[in-house]
Amino acid sequence: MLVIWAVLSVIGIVIAMQIHMPPGDQTLQGGEESSIIQLMLILATPVFIGVVMFVLYSAFIFKRPAGPLEDGPAMRGDLRLQVAWVALTAVVVFILAGFGIVELAASSNATNFATPAYESLGEPGVQPVGESAGHQMQVQVIGQQWYFTYRYIDYGGVESTHLILPVDANVVFHVTSTDALHSFWAYELGVKADANPGVDNIAYATTMHTGNFTVRCAELCGLWHGNMFDTEGKVVSQGDFATWIKGLQASEADVKLPPYAPYYFPSPRVKGS
Amino acid sequence: MARRLVVTVVGVAILCALVTVFIVGFVAKAPGSIASETASQPRVAVGADSGQTETVIHLETTGAVGTAVVYPRPDDPNPNWVGYLPTTTWKVPANSIVTIVIAQDDTPSGLRNPFWAKAQGIVGGTFHMKYYDDQGNPQEGDFSHIDDAANAAHTFAIPELGVFVPLEGLSANAPANSYNEITFSFRVGKAGVFHWQCFVPCGSGTIYGNGGPMQTVGYMGGFLVVQ
Repeated sequence: MLVIWAVLSVIGIVIAMQIHMPPGDQTLQGGEESSIIQLMLILATPVFIGVVMFVLYSAFIFKRPAGPLEDGPAMRGDLRLQVAWVALTAVVVFILAGFGIVELAASSNATNFATPAYESLGEPGVQPVGESAGHQMQVQVIGQQWYFTYRYIDYGGVESTHLILPVDANVVFHVTSTDALHSFWAYELGVKADANPGVDNIAYATTMHTGNFTVRCAELCGLWHGNMFDTEGKVVSQGDFATWIKGLQASEADVKLPPYAPYYFPSPRVKGS
Repeated sequence: MARRLVVTVVGVAILCALVTVFIVGFVAKAPGSIASETASQPRVAVGADSGQTETVIHLETTGAVGTAVVYPRPDDPNPNWVGYLPTTTWKVPANSIVTIVIAQDDTPSGLRNPFWAKAQGIVGGTFHMKYYDDQGNPQEGDFSHIDDAANAAHTFAIPELGVFVPLEGLSANAPANSYNEITFSFRVGKAGVFHWQCFVPCGSGTIYGNGGPMQTVGYMGGFLVVQ
């Protein structure tokens, strides 16, 4: 039985390693999330196969025989088996917990982002600087009923209906909302952050490959919540991004946007009848 | 025993029928639709072999649907609600140019996000507007944006098509029963159903102004059916 279990486990693990795990490796963080999910699947596969085998074995071997029922053999505990079972599962759980904590800390913090996010923003209400501080690129995500818009803080605060990012960039998202609760979910980027009014929620992504991505709202926010998505998010080359942002700045030269702030409380805040 | 069973079954059947009638009646009560008409004077120059037709839809945006100027709905269950008239489901042909002509007779409410003061996704990047200035004098011109986001009364937005157009509010000194007229065109591709909405929260009595008519199909939200 052990041999059968081992062979089936190996086959199962090989199959599990071929499966493309979400969200993919368009960003460093997304790639790490995919790796963690794949690791969990690889570890769970032998356990699953073992449980299924044990259930099938029991169903056949311990099937009720014909004829009158008799008492079965006396059940005895086995301390060594119990200790081994608890110890083995505890070790697996602690390893996974440690691995997850380390990965979570590494993907959202200092190793990829040279300076803390807040240092480059300046005072609320002040026009942002023209160039990114250090290696970071600051993008504000504004949730509103029922569309996300994006302000490029390091490029004069210009605003766009589509999220366009350069490849090989450390992006710091400042996620907020001007009305109801929303949630910014850039699926292929592996980023999900609540967009709450009066809150500057920070999320990180390091873009690795060019390609398209979808942004959805993941918090029920009213009638058109299901339509609050954009399939035209893109990670593009640095040159293409420079061309695009220059075009955006030129097209918005005559649009009067408010100064950048971590969050906004525009009127109306409450409409009377 | 049998009699009790029959009574129970009949009672449950009647109850189910009543619930079904109620649900179907609620779901089936949707606003009617209008189809675009072939434009007699196309706005957009297209190549002779492009195969693209241009159709036009006439709409009105008003502060109270019951007393609108062009398409009033006095029998509306919510006559004091803001709304797009005559209805909010519009049918247009696929792979065509759609021209929208909006009679805008509502007063300014203001945009929560001034970004929406700029027109996007329309042919030529500009909309034509006949309006009344602060002194009530008629003016006319082509615009890519409205100067003051606080002067917006409504917006015409189909986010999935990238179409966003601000609609200037009617001047307080405009003549009675007058309206601004905003005209613009955009392209549609293959068949599909796209929701449209307004980005000026004007649902009085609701927090942030996005309740009531803003979230009710038949008033400030609906569908563009490309077929």
